[in-house]
Amino acid sequence: MLSKSLIEDVLTAALSTGGDFSEIFVEDRFTNNITLQSGKIETSLSGRDFGIGIRVFKGLQSVYAYTTDHSKDGLLKAAKNAAQAISGNNLIQLPPLVHESVETVHPVQVLPLEVEKARKAAIMKQAYETAKNYHSSISQVKVRLMDEEQNVIIANSEGNWIEDKRVRSRLAIQAIAVRHNQMETGFYGPGAHQGFEFFENLDMNHYASEAARIAVTMLDASPCPGGKFPVIIDNEFGGVIFHEACGHGLEATAVAKNNSVFAGHLGEKVAPEIVTYIDDGTLPNEWGSINIDDEGEKARKNVLIENGILKGYLIDKFNARRMGMESTGSGRRESFRFAPTSRMTNTYIAPGKSTPEEIIANTEYGIYAKYMGGGQVSPATGDYNFAVMEAYEVKNGKLGKPLKGATLIGNGPKTLQLVDMVGNNLGHGAGMCGSLSGSIPVNVGQPMIRVSEITVGGTKGE
Amino acid sequence: MNIEEFQSKLFDAAHSSGFTETEIYYEKKEVFGCQIYQGEIDQYEIAEDGGVSFRGIFNGKMGYAYSEKIDEGSIPFLLESAKENTQILNEEEREEVFAGSSHYEKRNFFSESLNKVTIPEKIKFIQDVEREILAADPRIVATDTCQIRTEALTRFLINNKGLSLSDRVNYLYLILEVIAKEAEETKSAYTFHVTKDFHSLDAKAIAQKVVDETLSQLGARNIASKDYPILLRNDAAASLLYTFSANFSAENTQAGISALKDKLGVAIAADKITIVDDPFLEDGLASRTFDSEGVASKKLTLVDSGTLTSLLHNRKTAEKDRTETTGHAHKDSYKSAVKVGPSNLFIEPSTTSFENLLASIDEGVLITNLSGLHSGTNLVSGDFSVAANGFYVKDGKIQYPVNLMTIAGNFYQMLHDVEEVGSDLTFPLLPVGSPSLLIKSLSVTVE
Repeated sequence: MLSKSLIEDVLTAALSTGGDFSEIFVEDRFTNNITLQSGKIETSLSGRDFGIGIRVFKGLQSVYAYTTDHSKDGLLKAAKNAAQAISGNNLIQLPPLVHESVETVHPVQVLPLEVEKARKAAIMKQAYETAKNYHSSISQVKVRLMDEEQNVIIANSEGNWIEDKRVRSRLAIQAIAVRHNQMETGFYGPGAHQGFEFFENLDMNHYASEAARIAVTMLDASPCPGGKFPVIIDNEFGGVIFHEACGHGLEATAVAKNNSVFAGHLGEKVAPEIVTYIDDGTLPNEWGSINIDDEGEKARKNVLIENGILKGYLIDKFNARRMGMESTGSGRRESFRFAPTSRMTNTYIAPGKSTPEEIIANTEYGIYAKYMGGGQVSPATGDYNFAVMEAYEVKNGKLGKPLKGATLIGNGPKTLQLVDMVGNNLGHGAGMCGSLSGSIPVNVGQPMIRVSEITVGGTKGE
Repeated sequence: MNIEEFQSKLFDAAHSSGFTETEIYYEKKEVFGCQIYQGEIDQYEIAEDGGVSFRGIFNGKMGYAYSEKIDEGSIPFLLESAKENTQILNEEEREEVFAGSSHYEKRNFFSESLNKVTIPEKIKFIQDVEREILAADPRIVATDTCQIRTEALTRFLINNKGLSLSDRVNYLYLILEVIAKEAEETKSAYTFHVTKDFHSLDAKAIAQKVVDETLSQLGARNIASKDYPILLRNDAAASLLYTFSANFSAENTQAGISALKDKLGVAIAADKITIVDDPFLEDGLASRTFDSEGVASKKLTLVDSGTLTSLLHNRKTAEKDRTETTGHAHKDSYKSAVKVGPSNLFIEPSTTSFENLLASIDEGVLITNLSGLHSGTNLVSGDFSVAANGFYVKDGKIQYPVNLMTIAGNFYQMLHDVEEVGSDLTFPLLPVGSPSLLIKSLSVTVE
């Protein structure tokens, strides 16, 4: 993509005004994005994203420049633009770059670019037919297929030079059910750090039928009552609650500046003993998995909370300086347009001992959140909110009627304290996470858990 | 390789490989951003950005592809990808490259004076803002975001039917988020400012606004969870309208996923509501003179005193509905297909001040911020249940802030339930704006 000597020139130019670290990130990414609606392929887009990001540190100052101009002049101009933000004399010399090969933790069999689009369209039509034929009230099904091959070079003034190929595939199925004037939706969006083999091996019947089933079920749902209740959150995408409520607060972005409620509490008890919370970029071929992060560090398994004790944070190179700690292989970014910062990969609550049946049977009255929607959190306060896509009433230890319009709100660290049962059915769900360094693929995960009390914002007042 | 050279080589290669119509859409962007933390530069970003989108007719169908690498090597990728994309399309509607409107408004959305503001001037200003914030009150502990950004964007659309259009816009914006602590309570709040007039910015006033916004949330209490009359402040109202704005697109009505289907001429809102789309606002984030198909932009009334008078159309949706395009073909960027979207869409303000709206409430809740809009809203049914910050109002006066709430209701019902519209139109870093709205009632649940 770029020659070694040009990379060296750029890294050197970036250091010319006294920076103590420089880095280049070169990205060449091929994407396909196909949408289907009413049984027809509506749009098919292909593209090539190409650009270069250059970063310079001086102490606790970080400068970022990026450009889509890949000419030598364009790159040197970007490096100089970055360097100009720093004032001083050249401090360090660039050591010789040593090429390090990436150990492929997530092997890919079939590259997306090698597969005819007609085969991708056939997969989508299969998803459409399955969801559409699930029930007569399904009026519309939208299917989206995305795949990408991202090739990167990461080199820095510590002499590291590493290349990686990241391949991701995802299918998103949205079903809409209609009765009279009422419309309800159901969604499922499985994805993986894999090539076309992901679609071929996917249990389409399960995912497409589930999307349809959620929409149809919600047609009969009653408005959710508002108030404080015990809440049972099921596995897979249910993990979004702790992604929002704890995960973001454990990122160095918030911790380094003391803007997180978890800052300064390492080694302290922050959760009940039954809670162990892990971020693991090495889970084979998962959607949020990485071989190396976007600063060239190897992916690893980071235990964040172990049996209730705060053990660690997610740390990138820049925040590592402010914190006086080491990078945890957590520097990620959407693209060359973003400076990397600390982010999650596959984050999950480790499985406990209770069976899902026991958890429900032990709940006298509460809300069972089977599938979660998305959510949001303020790391500074820990306040979160998120939507429940499919919910049920729990009465006398049994599942009752379906409920719609439920939103869970609360404070992350407080909710964490209230986890009183952890199931044994760990599962992961794919999502996109938006933060400072853009929108990146992550998995959220957990077994079924119960929280003794969460505020449920419903549409029916108490 | 410059863009003219690239375009001519691309069109030549396209026509000789079987494309009958060809178009490029090209964007070039200059970005500067700087974040200050405790007086020092914490983040600094400078960029030259851009890319080119190609679309063309092959065997009667429109194929798309884009590239950010503008060189001869990308030409075969663009043409082969666009061709293969046409082969899987099942669309029956014929699309074509547009030959041009008879008249285009001449407007200037580019401020030369903003363009001349130097990087040191911008950095000094944002440092001043942070200093004023930190000095304003001992309860202010830090800024979470204290950022200044400028962007300058040039868009070009060139096709083989002789159309050659361009627009140039620039703007500056500030994003401020502040954290305040008192005893055990931590609160944060943010504000935005968008302008083309750098020299009109007053660091002290800007700092005071975000400080007041944050401090006002301290001392939060509970209130009973029930239905209340709601005063939805301008910025919160705009973010809710933005979330549901896709329902005004004819693409969504034609797909049967917007409840505005078959509602033309029907009252869909209280008669105090008029919604317009104005592509010519001087400070508008989405201002333009032509849309993504090259159709001339013009001002459009979507809702006139409560009655739905028009949807947003591009050429394809207009043909399907047997009407004229409204000039709302929209691409998020060169990476996207031509869809339908608004330019600057907003609820027209009245002459009633915010203070008068507030004074008219016996008992109710003032909502100043909504979050979780991307997840707590059902675009199809209009139902929403989202997290909210705000204040308890009694006898026309703000009493105290309320702990984190959710407010729930239905967007379509809410449009009918608007009792008063304020005079305080704002666009909170969005291309969608609103004045404050007084709403008959929404369901409030408090943590």
